[in-house]
Amino acid sequence: MAIWNSHFECMTKDELEQLQLERLQATLNRVYRSVAFYRKLFDQMGLVPDEINSLDELSRIPFTGKTTLRAGYPYGMFAVPLREVVRLQCTSGTTGEPIGVGYTRNDLTHWTEVSARVLCAGGVTKNDVVQICFDYSLFGGGLGFHYGAELIGASVIPGSNLDPARQVVIARDYRTTALIATPGFAIRLAAVVREKGLGPADIHLKRGLFTGEPFSERTRKQIEDELNIKATDNYGLSEIAWPGVAGECEKKKGLHIFEDQFIPEIIDPRTKEVLPLGEEGELVLTTITKEAFPLIRYRTGDITALDVSPCGCGRTLIRMKKVAGRTDEMVTINGVSFFPSQIEHIFSQIWGVEPRSCLEIDRRGNQDIVNILVKVSEKIFFDEMKKLQDLKSKVEREIYQDLGISVKVKLVEPDSFARETKGKRVIDKRESS
Amino acid sequence: MSREIDPEYLDRENLEKLQLKRLKKVLDRVYHKVPFYREAFDARKVKPDNIKNLKDLERLPFTTREDLRAGYPYGFLASSLSRLVRLHTSTGTTGKPKAVLFTQKDIDQAARLITRSMRITGAGPEDVFQNMMSYGLFTGGLIFHYGAERLGLLVIPSGTGNTERQIELMHDFKTTIVHITPSYALYLAEVMERMGMDPRGDFNLRTAYLGAELYSEVTRDEIEEIFSLDAYDSYGLSEMNGPGVAFECKEKCGMHLWEDNFIMEIIDPETFEVRREDEEGELVLTTLNREAMPILRYRTGDLTHIYPDPCRCGRVHRRISRIKGRVDDMFILRGVNIFPSEVERILMNMPEVGRNYQIVLERHGGLDEMRVILEIKKRFFRGSLKDLKRLQNKIKARFKGELMVTPQVELVESATLPRTTGKAKRLIDKRKI
Repeated sequence: MAIWNSHFECMTKDELEQLQLERLQATLNRVYRSVAFYRKLFDQMGLVPDEINSLDELSRIPFTGKTTLRAGYPYGMFAVPLREVVRLQCTSGTTGEPIGVGYTRNDLTHWTEVSARVLCAGGVTKNDVVQICFDYSLFGGGLGFHYGAELIGASVIPGSNLDPARQVVIARDYRTTALIATPGFAIRLAAVVREKGLGPADIHLKRGLFTGEPFSERTRKQIEDELNIKATDNYGLSEIAWPGVAGECEKKKGLHIFEDQFIPEIIDPRTKEVLPLGEEGELVLTTITKEAFPLIRYRTGDITALDVSPCGCGRTLIRMKKVAGRTDEMVTINGVSFFPSQIEHIFSQIWGVEPRSCLEIDRRGNQDIVNILVKVSEKIFFDEMKKLQDLKSKVEREIYQDLGISVKVKLVEPDSFARETKGKRVIDKRESS
Repeated sequence: MSREIDPEYLDRENLEKLQLKRLKKVLDRVYHKVPFYREAFDARKVKPDNIKNLKDLERLPFTTREDLRAGYPYGFLASSLSRLVRLHTSTGTTGKPKAVLFTQKDIDQAARLITRSMRITGAGPEDVFQNMMSYGLFTGGLIFHYGAERLGLLVIPSGTGNTERQIELMHDFKTTIVHITPSYALYLAEVMERMGMDPRGDFNLRTAYLGAELYSEVTRDEIEEIFSLDAYDSYGLSEMNGPGVAFECKEKCGMHLWEDNFIMEIIDPETFEVRREDEEGELVLTTLNREAMPILRYRTGDLTHIYPDPCRCGRVHRRISRIKGRVDDMFILRGVNIFPSEVERILMNMPEVGRNYQIVLERHGGLDEMRVILEIKKRFFRGSLKDLKRLQNKIKARFKGELMVTPQVELVESATLPRTTGKAKRLIDKRKI
């Protein structure tokens, strides 16, 4: 199993910490000098960059959040003059206004490097034909994977956002061996392969690297079985690097974070305290090589936990678990915290599909009550009512056993579902009542 | 060792010497590596050694679009598979696409031609370049991106679509150069005005590269006037590695075809006789600097002529006129090449569709639209409105999947469309070119 950069991926703890501290200090100095937001922040706190003499002291610095990035748009958060910026990428803007993220030439080199590391960890070599099914424009991850695959020397097919049917034809004709996509897209590709009656002699895929959506072990198994490949997870975000923050190796025991470029912390999203190693909380990242768009203690909003136990692959880098959900989606019922995705997962196990659902939370006295509205088609609604009632009680029982909360599942016709939920995943009526 | 002169600046004599030297290498290569060419040479009893001067090129066979299709995916490969670093396909075709294959050297060479092309219009590192062409399998986006990146300016890989977002970025990051189709440029101006912005005053645009569509001098003038910029013609085709085959210099008087990389000929599209260069005819190109897919005498289908007089800029690379039309009935809609025969194939594969149909091309506010009016067989027309709607959507989806263009679909009863005794006029192009 190859390691792309055994120097940076296999450092001893001492070497790594020394490197991190040097790079952190350089970054702090740069943002203090060049980014008005950080200068003001440091001055208010009485922080002098040169006085941060250990990695532990990083926790003295306040967090950076998405609203700050938004307020800084277009180039308030840039730490270099625009003439040194050679690339602009953008956050997708699915939640609000987009944020422009600039890259200098060195930033592009670093980004390409971590992308190559992700691909290499997932088993990609120069002999692979890599098909990248992510949008190639500035809003997507396509170009990032593309540059990494190119650095490795693989043959690259820029599939971009072509529909699944055409992607399958191209994968067949060009004998694609490595697939880069979201897990959901991989499942759609597998369906096309089945529909077209294609077999192992037509499809030459050996491995797939997946990101961009929740990627449960169950989904992994499904993809591995249906496409007959090895599937690994990877993680990134467009504010920092997407792809390229972390990548799973073939041991499949968590995603190695490239700590020579990013310092990870896990905090409690409510108290904002740094949590002890191994506990689950919000991932916070500090970039320590970025020139154009450095971020200090950026709150990713993603929930995960860190693991320092040695990995059989030989990398010494810390690992993060699969992302469990988003902080902005976490729900607490009678003192129990969970993610709507956990409920959806239970549905998928019992129903075989994930129906559209919405949590409706209210309070009676000092008890929280939860209704889960589930969208069912008009046809099923009348034809299979009896069967649905059984499945419904099964889900309720399972949720109680799994999460320790009692819920009521309500089956709703499409029209009423749209009216009642207005497209939301969670409706919390507790604060207003 | 003497320093090699950049082929851009060679004099005519030395340019032709270089062409001949490169041509001989190409002939040797294709004869030994590509069975299609070996057979074609043998059938004409020509050996690579028989080609002693550029005039002898006429003894060699043409390569057609159909030849390339028949050779898909690897029939025209002249290097080893393992040396391929990029796999593209041509746009707009379905049944069988055309392969476009690159080694690293091919990518470098294609990028170099873009860099050269941008430079002759005055682009430099201080520019902000927004590449509004589709990224992915279409070579127009990515290859241009590579060339621009080498020039060291800020590249915004915006791709197509998401127009309002693109306009915001264009404004906020003070874009100076755009690469765009003429019809999208006109649409952009409309959206800017709708957003309450002035295409001249609110932006920093000074250059536009127009390509991938047929258009007239009137349209160029219009675009220059609306945005207050200089617009330059760009010519390329996927079969020749994409954009950067020919480009206008600041004189705006025809496009310099990069003769160190291509040999051009103008032929009579009926008799295939080589014409005098100043006569209008079909452009035929031979690649001189391509490893993965060298192509001899490719019939581009594009009608043009060569300007006999030297350009005022002093470059010896001869100029071709803006493309005046097509030899065949191919039309271009939003940068996608479409053949009426493909439209017919899609329609005739649907049992509901009758024999009569019309394709109407229109320009609405700068944006090209395709309207397909078709007769539905009687027994299908009896269905409910819902059924007709469903059929409409099915047809739209089929077009989008196969041609990457979504048409307006009008369903009419059979025997509604005008009948002609002669050849039915299926294609009505109402766009003003």
